Amino acid sequence: MLTLLRDLRRLRRDLHLPRPDRGRSLAIRHVDAGSCNGCEHELTLTASPFYDLARFGLGIVASPRHADVLLVTGAVTSRMRDPLLIAYAAMPEPRRVAALGNCALGRNLLGTPADLVGPVETLLPVDVRISGCPPTPDLIAEAILRLVDDPPSM
Amino acid sequence: MTVEATAPVESIEASRESYRSDVERSLGTGWQFAGLHVAAGDALVRMSLAAADGSARLIGVAVRGGQVPSIVDLVPAAGWDEREAADLFGVTFTGHEPIRPIVNHVQLDRWTVPVRGADAYQVAVGPIHAGVIESGHFRFHVVGDRILHLDARLFYKHRGLEKAAEGGSADRGLAYVARACAGCAVANAVAYAHACEQALGLGPSAELARVRTILLELERVWNHLNDIAAVCAGVGLAVGNNRFAGLTERARRLNAALTGHRFLFGTVRIGGSDLAVGADQIQAARVELAALHRAAANGWRELVFNASLQDRLPDVGVVMACEAQRLGTVGPAARAAGKAEDVRAGSPRLAYTGFHPAAVERANGDVKARFDQRAIELWQSFALLEHLLDRPVHPTTAEPGAAPQPTGIGRVESPRGATTCVVELTAGQVRRLRLRTGSYANWPTVAYAAAGNLLPDFPLINKSFELCYACVDR
Repeated sequence: MLTLLRDLRRLRRDLHLPRPDRGRSLAIRHVDAGSCNGCEHELTLTASPFYDLARFGLGIVASPRHADVLLVTGAVTSRMRDPLLIAYAAMPEPRRVAALGNCALGRNLLGTPADLVGPVETLLPVDVRISGCPPTPDLIAEAILRLVDDPPSM
Repeated sequence: MTVEATAPVESIEASRESYRSDVERSLGTGWQFAGLHVAAGDALVRMSLAAADGSARLIGVAVRGGQVPSIVDLVPAAGWDEREAADLFGVTFTGHEPIRPIVNHVQLDRWTVPVRGADAYQVAVGPIHAGVIESGHFRFHVVGDRILHLDARLFYKHRGLEKAAEGGSADRGLAYVARACAGCAVANAVAYAHACEQALGLGPSAELARVRTILLELERVWNHLNDIAAVCAGVGLAVGNNRFAGLTERARRLNAALTGHRFLFGTVRIGGSDLAVGADQIQAARVELAALHRAAANGWRELVFNASLQDRLPDVGVVMACEAQRLGTVGPAARAAGKAEDVRAGSPRLAYTGFHPAAVERANGDVKARFDQRAIELWQSFALLEHLLDRPVHPTTAEPGAAPQPTGIGRVESPRGATTCVVELTAGQVRRLRLRTGSYANWPTVAYAAAGNLLPDFPLINKSFELCYACVDR
């Protein structure tokens, strides 16, 4: 493995490729802020053999303290507002927020106004929007990979 | 259609004196508790009961001075229903004291059970969990690694869907019910459609019964595949998890090929069905289902002979039959505990003629029994689908049934158990809606099953039930 890494580095130097200024991986923390569980079911399958996002350096991490991206699903309910903000505050910078699914984007929200805070955008700066009800695993994969390839400027 | 299909809901208005004895008498004559709701106008609390043949009964009691007698001592399964009604409608249940808040998130000592003793301490988990999991808070009272008691605080995702549906048309109400949960979208939608059709005086055509049964079984197939993967994940068996996650993906692709949606969203409507599936699609679906069946059977065989997995499953998270009965456990979890009941066996509005509930031989209510139960139900669903998908599916409409009535009750076997939907309709408008899902019925059983086990086994016990949070929170 070490040999392989050294070879890759030599190859990169020989070909005069630019040195990557950041590792090509992203750690994702998912927060369900009030979804119907559809986005979770599809997000789970992005790790399945058909998509296997781990091979692109993408992984779900257990703590927001380890995360680069906060991936939020669901219309934010009044009871999930505080946990969501606490998770965001716990993340190291630079950090990104991705809103996953139509509810998180505030489209066709269902529920009573007293129980919903509204779309993620009303609480956090959203960098990536993934629409769909729910978005399919390949759409989720594509959107997150774009974040790796072309990170938004700070 | 059979008589029961269009039989009206039997409604009993009990006096405050006779309420508890009426409830007791019904429970003693084969009726099962199916939920409790506050009727439109908030002046009546009504208990729903279901019989094995699919008929339904309501026992109502007037709210006086904000109070009704509690039935939680007669029906422990009504515990969460009463707590919810207390939080959402301000009803006081006399005899249910202290009534711990369940929807309202208040300070810790009001919603948890006091646990005292040497070295007892609490472990708090959630609402945000370590993996891709829905939001909910668990408070474990433990000594060392041993769980003494578990208090679950859900309703973090409470969106007020039922309340928001009030005042709208019956068709509009379907959107709220279908979005309650993606995992049980068809089961919830069919339960709601049945309730509305009963209230509107409609019965299903044979084709409508067949289409809905197909959809329900397609939903069960992907859910059971997903739940088998989840148990593998629960013990850290990546190979089993990935194998069955891959099969889940294939099942969802099949759903999309047949209906245009991976979760079968938008396939159920009140008073008919618009789904059309041609002969070629049916043939392709039959081929894929047979392939899925073979692949799942092969995958299952490897799990059966995987010692590291099988060693973890027996005698963990045990729910005995008497406890399942007491707690009102439903679905695969109840059948795995030897409570062999399945709403499908008495579903006159669906095409389950001749259906017999499957139950594992070793139905002793542990994680292994629930795990094995999923597999045999999966084989059963594949067989049902093979039988049902024998010809193209055509758009169809419901047929006139019994006289319209103010309240309809729909009861459907979701992948997680009996789901009951009560709808009160006036002039086509939803006046009250209550959806009591299989997950809702089973959460107290999860808490019961966890007690006495080791804390590190909780994820496995939880996965063996694999309940939805969204279905409960609504």
